[in-house]
Amino acid sequence: MKRFEEIPHTADWSFRAFGRDARELFENAAHALFALEGARARDDANEITRDIRVTALDYESLLVTWLTELLWLQESHREMYRRFNITTLAPTELRAQVFGAPFIELGKIIKAVTYHNLAITQTAQGWEAVVVVDV
Amino acid sequence: MITKQNLERISDTLWQVPQDFRGDMRAPARLYASEELLDDALRDESVTQLVNTATLPGIVKYAIAMPDIHQGYGFPIGGVVATRAPDGVISPGGVGYDINCGVRLLASRISAEEIAPHIKDLATALYKNCPSGVGSEGSVPLNAKQLDDVLEQGSEWARQNGYARRDDLDRTEEFGRMPGADAGAVSKRAKDRGRDQLGTLGAGNHFIEVDRVVEVYDAQIADRLGLFPEQIVAQIHCGSRGLGHQVCTDYVNDFQRAVREYEIELPDRELVCAPLDSPEGQAYFKAMAASANFAFTNRQVLAHHIRRSFEEVLAGVVKDFDLFQIYDIAHNMAKVEEHDVEGKRVKVCVHRKGATRAFGPGAAVLPDDLRAIGQPVLIPGSMGTASYVLIGTEKAMRETFGSTCHGAGRVMSRAKAKKEVRGEKLREELAARGIVIRAGSMPGLAEEVPQAYKDVSRVVEVVQRAGIARMIARVEPLAVIKG
Repeated sequence: MKRFEEIPHTADWSFRAFGRDARELFENAAHALFALEGARARDDANEITRDIRVTALDYESLLVTWLTELLWLQESHREMYRRFNITTLAPTELRAQVFGAPFIELGKIIKAVTYHNLAITQTAQGWEAVVVVDV
Repeated sequence: MITKQNLERISDTLWQVPQDFRGDMRAPARLYASEELLDDALRDESVTQLVNTATLPGIVKYAIAMPDIHQGYGFPIGGVVATRAPDGVISPGGVGYDINCGVRLLASRISAEEIAPHIKDLATALYKNCPSGVGSEGSVPLNAKQLDDVLEQGSEWARQNGYARRDDLDRTEEFGRMPGADAGAVSKRAKDRGRDQLGTLGAGNHFIEVDRVVEVYDAQIADRLGLFPEQIVAQIHCGSRGLGHQVCTDYVNDFQRAVREYEIELPDRELVCAPLDSPEGQAYFKAMAASANFAFTNRQVLAHHIRRSFEEVLAGVVKDFDLFQIYDIAHNMAKVEEHDVEGKRVKVCVHRKGATRAFGPGAAVLPDDLRAIGQPVLIPGSMGTASYVLIGTEKAMRETFGSTCHGAGRVMSRAKAKKEVRGEKLREELAARGIVIRAGSMPGLAEEVPQAYKDVSRVVEVVQRAGIARMIARVEPLAVIKG
């Protein structure tokens, strides 16, 4: 199963992420975010681990909050993340460990993760979500 | 999908989606466009997004879109919505993430001929002195108290700290200081993101340009503003950086709960809103105003660096290297203003997202010298193309809550632009046309290729024909500085 695909958007950037279950969907959405930014990690650095806990009203807002938290960690520590291990995922709470390294450069700044047309759906293949980010 | 058949034609340049088009609309939706620009708008979700904004509680008259409309998130870019104050709603998504993104125009007394031998040095000095690019750090580090002062005082802080002159403030929307700003409504996270970003350009479509005035359409008004043919001017396009992005993120998130509390049903969660006079609405307004002040100060500090760069390169070379301010406008903002609605003077909260205030002659909030002629409006074109100076009109006051367009408007996705154009090649093409480019990122440059945008001249022509702004002058770039 592919992790995500880009959806054409005139001014900003949009992707559809996939997962066999909600946990994989959330992890793949995180992969999509960092792929878009074109972040390059330092090769020589030791792996960094960060713990994340976020809460929200429902699955959709939890997805936005999770991705927003990753962007915030990235900007404040100047790191990028390559592996995501979600340990708790309920509709209103997510706990995860994420693994990454300091980045050398970013290709692009994502200003924010939006709620525009946000939808998480269950299909025959698993879970899908469409996300629009402001770039 | 909305098609032309769903639209009523009101005039040569004005189209309307009637209120009965969709059951959740609380007002009609209007779009200023030529047939050609309308076709562009109907190609993506822009007009659906416009119709969605017509569902906001308390909307007055109609939702409006300008001819540079393009697909955004929540509101379309180029959207204007006025809501009844104080019981109508305010929507953080109706302002957007780059709060008070805007444009400033500085003018010199130097001619294009005089500057020609020095333009490359000037571009290099501007690139060196004006921090730009992804994650750039500013030249004005702020402690917590200083940042709060910037958030509450805006350009007045810049004046007191040597970055602004009195006459800069007179030629800035809101005099560079939004009333009602409260640093206490801005989260720690937003402040942390903003602390080292004052005086930075950022990346994306933001830029600094050195331009030449190529045409003057109204000599009398141009003269009153201080513009003349062949004059060298400098333009800044940027906003509130990470601080504004975080404020919008925080409040769009908070308002997800508020819409449940106030039982507001919306077609898109990015449109979340709360009554302006509710605790949530007030908190957002205070934080938005503070972010707007950060953006005014940011452009002011960049203006200071531009003046420094002109001095570095041109002192002893030209007689007068001073730059004075023509105007500074916001194009992502919500403001409480008084407008005439059905013969009554009423207070409304005007959301302009990718739209510019364009107050006509006589507007009480303008400084004395501008009140006679109207407010200058600055319309940047896409990279390497023309930009325009317009002036607000009485018709804009009657029809659009004193608003007009803000730029060219995208028609091509960034991904497609990058696939079709290489940054290096674009730079060569612009160089062949005599435009000097200083840019940090070549892929970033490619995304801003002029073909990805509508022709700004066609956009401006529509607002002029519609009478919601008047053309005063056109400028074209000699040097472009980007992140």
